Amino acid sequence: MAVIAAPRQRASRRPRMTFARRQALWGYLLVLPVSLVLLALVAYPFVYAIYISFTDRVVGNPGGWVGFDNFRYLARWSSFGRAVQNTITLVVVTDVLKLGLGLGLALLLNEPLRGRGLFRAAVLLPWAMPGFVAFLTWKLLLVPIGGGLNLVLNETGLMAVPEALGLGSNGIIDWLGQRSTALPAVIAATTWRGFPFWCISFLAALQQVPNELYEAAKIDGASRFQRFRDVTVPAIRQVVLVVALLSSIWTANSFEHIWIMTQGGPSDATMVFPVLAYFGMQSQRLGEAAAVSVALVPALLILVFVVTALVRDDD
Amino acid sequence: MVRSPANSGDSVATTRPALTRRRLLGTAAGSTAALGLAAAPRSALAEMLAARRAPAVVQGGTKLTYWGGLIFSDAANSLLEETITAWGDANGVEAEVVMINQNETTQKVSAAVESNTLPDALDMGLDLQLLLSQQGQLAPLDDVYDRVGAAQGGWFPGVDAAMAPERFGGTRTGVPFGTGGNLLFRRTDVLGEAGFTEPPATWQELSDQAREAQAPPIFGMGFALSNVGDGNVQVSVLQSYGGRIADDAGTTPTIKSEATRAYLEWVSAAYRDGLFPPGATTWDGAGDNQAYLAGQAVFIANTGSVHLSAREEDPELDASTAYSPLPGGPTGLVSPLGPNVRAIPTSSRNADAAKALIEHLANPEFMAEYYAVAIYGPVLQAQRAFPIYSGESEVHTGLANLVETGTAPAAPDVFNAAYAEFNANFLVPKMVQRVVIDNYTLDQAMDETQAAAEAIYAKYR
Amino acid sequence: MASVPATTPRPRAAGPTQGGRAVEHRARRRPAAGSVGAYLLLAVVTVLLLFPVYWMLTISLKIPREINRVPSLWPQTVTLDNYRELLGERGFLTNLRNSTIVAGSVTLVSLFISSLAAYSLVRFRYRFRGLVGRLILFGYLMPTSLLFIPLSIIVARLNLGNSLQGLIVVYLTFSMPLSTWLLTGYFRGVPAELEEQAMVDGATRMGALLRIVLPLSLPGLVAVGIFTFTAAWNELLLALIFITSEDLRTVPLALQYLITGDVYRWGPIMAGAVLSSLPVVILYFAAQRVMVQGATAGSVKG
Repeated sequence: MAVIAAPRQRASRRPRMTFARRQALWGYLLVLPVSLVLLALVAYPFVYAIYISFTDRVVGNPGGWVGFDNFRYLARWSSFGRAVQNTITLVVVTDVLKLGLGLGLALLLNEPLRGRGLFRAAVLLPWAMPGFVAFLTWKLLLVPIGGGLNLVLNETGLMAVPEALGLGSNGIIDWLGQRSTALPAVIAATTWRGFPFWCISFLAALQQVPNELYEAAKIDGASRFQRFRDVTVPAIRQVVLVVALLSSIWTANSFEHIWIMTQGGPSDATMVFPVLAYFGMQSQRLGEAAAVSVALVPALLILVFVVTALVRDDD
Repeated sequence: MVRSPANSGDSVATTRPALTRRRLLGTAAGSTAALGLAAAPRSALAEMLAARRAPAVVQGGTKLTYWGGLIFSDAANSLLEETITAWGDANGVEAEVVMINQNETTQKVSAAVESNTLPDALDMGLDLQLLLSQQGQLAPLDDVYDRVGAAQGGWFPGVDAAMAPERFGGTRTGVPFGTGGNLLFRRTDVLGEAGFTEPPATWQELSDQAREAQAPPIFGMGFALSNVGDGNVQVSVLQSYGGRIADDAGTTPTIKSEATRAYLEWVSAAYRDGLFPPGATTWDGAGDNQAYLAGQAVFIANTGSVHLSAREEDPELDASTAYSPLPGGPTGLVSPLGPNVRAIPTSSRNADAAKALIEHLANPEFMAEYYAVAIYGPVLQAQRAFPIYSGESEVHTGLANLVETGTAPAAPDVFNAAYAEFNANFLVPKMVQRVVIDNYTLDQAMDETQAAAEAIYAKYR
Repeated sequence: MASVPATTPRPRAAGPTQGGRAVEHRARRRPAAGSVGAYLLLAVVTVLLLFPVYWMLTISLKIPREINRVPSLWPQTVTLDNYRELLGERGFLTNLRNSTIVAGSVTLVSLFISSLAAYSLVRFRYRFRGLVGRLILFGYLMPTSLLFIPLSIIVARLNLGNSLQGLIVVYLTFSMPLSTWLLTGYFRGVPAELEEQAMVDGATRMGALLRIVLPLSLPGLVAVGIFTFTAAWNELLLALIFITSEDLRTVPLALQYLITGDVYRWGPIMAGAVLSSLPVVILYFAAQRVMVQGATAGSVKG
């Protein structure tokens, strides 16, 4: 980058080049601490994981090189295809829901409403508790008999609606135990747990937008929608992209929501990669467990490169 | 169906009797003393016991870490902690004991093996013991095993068979301290109304009783069909129908069979008739506990923890609960024992002190006290005489009977690493789910499971 | 319309501006008609979103038998026993203290060095900048359930096993990518012209970062701080591996230890979840307050 930038600047004015060089130096210097920490802590585990996915390593025994055996073995699992499908569905659908919910609430909470500080704090609640407790609570809510959701539906008479759709009978809906509702239920819980991250991030971005911009747009006669499109969207675009990227990776790699609520079941209705990897870890077959996660890496890498390229477009 | 002790165990048992009878008397006296001690403050017991010094091999000033298995009973946990600490104090060993949640033991041990930070001794279950032994991570404990057995009337044959050295690299790598296993819990009030007073002897009888007695929201068969350990109770049912995971050599999967078909027919009929509570296909390990405590299940298979909860929180429910062995199937009863062991990693720098500690922890005074507050069956013949197993508690007595009548782990299949991995992937409950959730034909479900089993077993050939 | 690109330099963004406050005041005196609808909408959404939290709260106030046997929308016998047990015999205050130390340290360290890195990625041009930025994210590509083994080897080598320091070091692996990348988003929202103006006026690079960029992205800093804090506050899997001693357990670890075998102690677990989410929520609420007050320093909207 500096190489391209430098000649242009050299053409204009000589001292500019030293400025560019000084800039590069500062750039490296400031990014160095983070790079060093991550190099020390992440590089080794990352390479290690990729390496052992090509070995038959088990706990307590380094094993030997087996080439693509683990991946071949993996591809033969009956749940593998379903795990691919579920992981994609889970990431895409929860992202869309979190975006809608997060942005909508952030816009609302950016309005000068009384007591909005309390609302803002309340929004953070699902994210503020340990994840496994959050999902345990959802599991309790979705218990077929005596769970909060069925209880409310029964008491309010709304139970007739899902029953008419054939989701249950006698006031009992087995939300997690049937194919039609298991994945949607997990998606609902995952969205609930994750949307505060989106909402609060967006809210912070909105708070950074100078009011003057809106005022100026208003004076120019811009409509509400035009103001949103021309002021709000450009101002929060970067944050939306970064949040979507981080959140997608987390969702693709997260384990506890599925493990706690369904263990991938019923059958393989909610099976995802990290749960498959967990089965391998329980048998202490590190090579196979690593292969499950490594199989997901190319997809995530593409995601990282595409989104970061979008982010840098704005420069 | 009592399993005869496996080959090597046989020879030990036959050379033992003379010694054993004399020892038995000694221990009986010991356990009466334990009875009296029960009233004394717990730490006093721990101290008294600890006063018996360890063999001279223990060097003063040694530091020893112990990972104890955390169980539901707080009293049992603190008793173990206090006893180990007191032993350390009395023997000049700085003993640090940490209670590790058994749900996390596998992960924690995996990390500790790889980073070489295992403790000097720890508690574990049979599956983990098998995996670690095969990688040469556990030290031989044959001497302690033999001494403890000889001193207390010998190990129960089922326990001894589970410890068969050929499985663990030719040695005994663990000293058993308690047997887990499932009992059948049943609601006597609900069953009584339907005219059933006797526990079901077969699974078919059980589903018949369940069909008659259940009245939603109370459901007959509170058995997990999900991807958790409890779901693997279905492996035992399958086996009691004559189904097998693999052949007698333990190398070639034989899932697809007429016996398996008969089992699947039984379980899917029960599911279709609505005998399983809703949710059973995605229950976690606590699913049956909660359904039972919520009054939503007539029968459950449980290790006893439900009893402890009910006794504390819902005495009414506890009073209308009876316990019996798991039912049998057309080809007999399969109710596997799950011994828990204390083991010493080969990486321990204080193996001698750790051995002395493990031997100390097998003493009858401590174990009588421990069993009274924990929820394990005994492992040694002499422990059978402890009051907790002689009628003082119905559940404990049931567990003690299980130790005598239960089957060896995996039996009639062969307990090996492939079998353990097969179960760690919950392939039997998954096969059932294929039928009841995905409407696979029985053949499709068996074919898929057979193929998965072949892939797993192939890795260990 | 659309004559307002996002990068238009604001008139007097840095330094105390009366203008920003004036706009703010005007905004607060909006007609009520629109806000009634907004309040209604907000109320409905909040009720729906907080129902699971409410469910936790009721369980934490119930006695065990009622939790198991009598499903109900509110407790019939209200008890504080679960809280008493947790704070008393289970020593939950120690867990709260440990979590505070860990999450607080991770947040401070991360915010500091991630701000530098994010600033570098946003404002400086150098070779490999794009690559460095992407590499920072690589730590996320593998699930923790796999990374814990190599991490445990590193921690053992550093001799930091079973210590809060070790946990802090390990948590940097996820907190730094998070805070660096989010902060780049917020820093980009600050118009470069403002900094250039300041530097023309004689400020150094660091001066520009400290006096222009950081104050103007204060809402972003607060959000990132909150996320880093909660992520460390709630982390379970690594804590399970790296903490062994009872007196070093963090909050999620302590709650996980209330699940023994196949028995959940629902009452204390839920009481613990309620107690552990409060500090985070209060922290965010307080930070919002401070931000509104600090808004006089810039045209930051409260």
